[in-house]
Amino acid sequence: MAVAIGAARVWRQSRILGQAALLLLRRPGAQGLAISHPHRQQEQQFSSLDDKPQFPGASAEFIDKLEFIQPNVISGIPIYRVMDRQGQIINPSEDPHLPKEKVLKFYKSMTLLNTMDRILYESQRQGRISFYMTNYGEEGTHVGSAAALDNTDLVFGQYREAGVLMYRDYPLELFMAQCYGNISDLGKGRQMPVHYGCKERHFVTISSPLATQIPQAVGAAYAAKRANANRVVICYFGEGAASEGDAHAGFNFAATLECPIIFFCRNNGYAISTPTSEQYRGDGIAARGPGYGILSIRVDGNDVFAVYNATKEARRRAVAENQPFLIEAMTYRIGHHSTSDDSSAYRSVDEVNYWDKQDHPISRLRHYLLSRGWWDEEQEKAWRKQSRKKVMEAFEQAERKPKPNPNLLFSDVYQEMPSQLRKQQESLARHLQTYGEHYPLEHFDKPLVGEAKEWLKLSRF
Amino acid sequence: MAAVAVAPAASWLFRLRAAGAEGHWRRLCGAGLARGFLHPAATGEDAAQRRQVAHFTFQPDPEPREYGQTQKMNLFQSITSALDNSLAKDPTAVIFGEDVAFGGVFRCTVGLRDKYGKDRVFNTPLCEQGIVGFGIGIAVTGATAIAEIQFADYIFPAFDQIVNEAAKYRYRSGDLFNCGSLTIRSPWGCVGHGALYHSQSPEAFFAHCPGIKVVIPRSPFQAKGLLLSCIEDKNPCIFFEPKILYRAAVEQVPVEPYNIPLSQAEVIQEGSDVTLVAWGTQVHVIREVASMAKEKLGVSCEIIDLRTIIPWDVDTVCKSVIKTGRLLISHEAPLTGGFASEISSTIQEECFLNLEAPISRVCGYDTPFPHIFEPFYIPDKWKCYDALRKMINY
Repeated sequence: MAVAIGAARVWRQSRILGQAALLLLRRPGAQGLAISHPHRQQEQQFSSLDDKPQFPGASAEFIDKLEFIQPNVISGIPIYRVMDRQGQIINPSEDPHLPKEKVLKFYKSMTLLNTMDRILYESQRQGRISFYMTNYGEEGTHVGSAAALDNTDLVFGQYREAGVLMYRDYPLELFMAQCYGNISDLGKGRQMPVHYGCKERHFVTISSPLATQIPQAVGAAYAAKRANANRVVICYFGEGAASEGDAHAGFNFAATLECPIIFFCRNNGYAISTPTSEQYRGDGIAARGPGYGILSIRVDGNDVFAVYNATKEARRRAVAENQPFLIEAMTYRIGHHSTSDDSSAYRSVDEVNYWDKQDHPISRLRHYLLSRGWWDEEQEKAWRKQSRKKVMEAFEQAERKPKPNPNLLFSDVYQEMPSQLRKQQESLARHLQTYGEHYPLEHFDKPLVGEAKEWLKLSRF
Repeated sequence: MAAVAVAPAASWLFRLRAAGAEGHWRRLCGAGLARGFLHPAATGEDAAQRRQVAHFTFQPDPEPREYGQTQKMNLFQSITSALDNSLAKDPTAVIFGEDVAFGGVFRCTVGLRDKYGKDRVFNTPLCEQGIVGFGIGIAVTGATAIAEIQFADYIFPAFDQIVNEAAKYRYRSGDLFNCGSLTIRSPWGCVGHGALYHSQSPEAFFAHCPGIKVVIPRSPFQAKGLLLSCIEDKNPCIFFEPKILYRAAVEQVPVEPYNIPLSQAEVIQEGSDVTLVAWGTQVHVIREVASMAKEKLGVSCEIIDLRTIIPWDVDTVCKSVIKTGRLLISHEAPLTGGFASEISSTIQEECFLNLEAPISRVCGYDTPFPHIFEPFYIPDKWKCYDALRKMINY
């Protein structure tokens, strides 16, 4: 440290900067500077009689036994659940006692999502849409958590959280519009299917890069805290995305900056073909929380009441105490990763069937509803028919609509269109004038006649 | 490191000690190497190496009259002033990054935490991808986020957040969401001794990314006006601050806020024979080249400070080249793929028949930024002058 200060004094430029000059060299890190900020340390008496550790970096006692902490992966963090696999409440004091309408909404949201998934997956197979991702097996994680939030709580998702939007009553027409990229798509046809977004329902538009939403969600939570909004931000991601640097960044920032955020990890066993045994070696994602100073819990993601209870409590405390919470919802990805994946290449059909038949969030809730007398076979049959009809209608309508105006290729890059980009837009318009027959213009919304003339009139300088 | 900057008195003492030790060393090690090691260069005291003076002279602009009272400020003070103005008028604005709380490693945020509170000016953990991601999230809610990346050399961990997220937020959401109220500030460019990781000018990496704006000021007055424009701009902006100018550049700067428009280049000197384009520190280099050209060659140069790298002001540069017929672009960043190549390519497309000579680019070499070789690496006034001369004689 003294050498560095000496060297710093010799540098003419740095002489006046002094302390700051030490920071001009980034490495080593800032630890060494602790000495120059005595007011930053805890109130400690530097008495020679006192044998307690004085390090600013940790609050701990000394130990004279050499012992490495054993990571506990055989008997990891326990999994909180409310219902057993047959939908029966295990501990009545944990029953959230939700009213019938609310539980029926859970059930209908999950089943409607499931129906929409089947039809849209099929439509990709038939070449009607380019791509799709299903949510099979994870509907409980979406609906249980969404139900525990306020409608204005901001949601940052990854790509397998359509049930959250479904629960918030996002219309089928708009799900389809985005998948078809048709003229009704609020996203203006710019992204691949399932990249939903809805400002009205506080669901931030999905992006493909994984985990990028995590530090963003933290920033949004910080802003909500400053605004005294009494809102929480929830951030969904998979156990695979949790390996990204952005996840580490997000957790650390949330804890140090005291943000009202719920980190919701859907641990569904696979990141495309990569099983969890190749994704991490520790006790899943929940065990990482305490490393950041974050309150954490692991829940049965296929138990919609467990998800609900955990999210509800996390929300209450996150807002009240301005601190992050980490919920790791254990579940299973029953479907393929996407329409570009065939998971039989890396897992057995038996394994998938087990989850589909023996531990499915929808079945477990149905058993609960049946045992409460809130549902029966007749209603089930009627609802299946009705939900399928709704989905098919929306689907057919979406397919008939034209695609958006090709002008929309160029807008929204910036809030205002730069002049160079406008020139490129004009050049496409001219190109289409001559070569339009080679482009699928008949499926697209036509520019207004006046607009086309305007493009041609505008001269280059 | 200390050996390089030995002052005259010290070198005398050094030789005295060396003389006494010489006999001892001769016995131990033999003459050749040891002699070279102990004695300063044989040619005498003035051969003792001194660190170079700056490769440019900062030329302040005349005191601006139209924005009210002015104060003498250097570059970092003009930044502080802009940030102070921003936090005063926008209650949602927050400043964050590594070490910004105590005032920042370049003093740009001194006093702001005390004035505006620890919830508005705060340190983050050491993580650039986190800083930018966090900033995007703040901006998504509509609040103003001013993020600092400690050195432009360290912006790369945040590249994904900037390019894949910030730049595309509005477009990909169909304008449902945006992070327009995000500004990223970062010290940029050579500083005399920064070497590979404290000297970089990475603007070219970002020039290739539609959706963001990249802005580089040449002076304190320009910096404050451009930074305020970036902060208020409804698109995510990266504001690179030439670190070598933080203390070296001093001029009169208005105390009140004012805006300098983005995407508008400035013709800072009119001329008829050749157009010189640069940004940041290099503007002062080419200013000097212009006087050298006038004096030695009788050549009249038109000097343009580009100011915004993207979206860049094609029209102003074109208009100038149509008039002069010759273009020289200069930047510290490496030649290949540097932003001069974009300017050159566009100008030859637009002004081909007006050109009297090939467009000249005077840039850093295609190497990482070296330490001890910096004086040879940078596109100094001699290299620019020589390129200009060749262009005139083409």
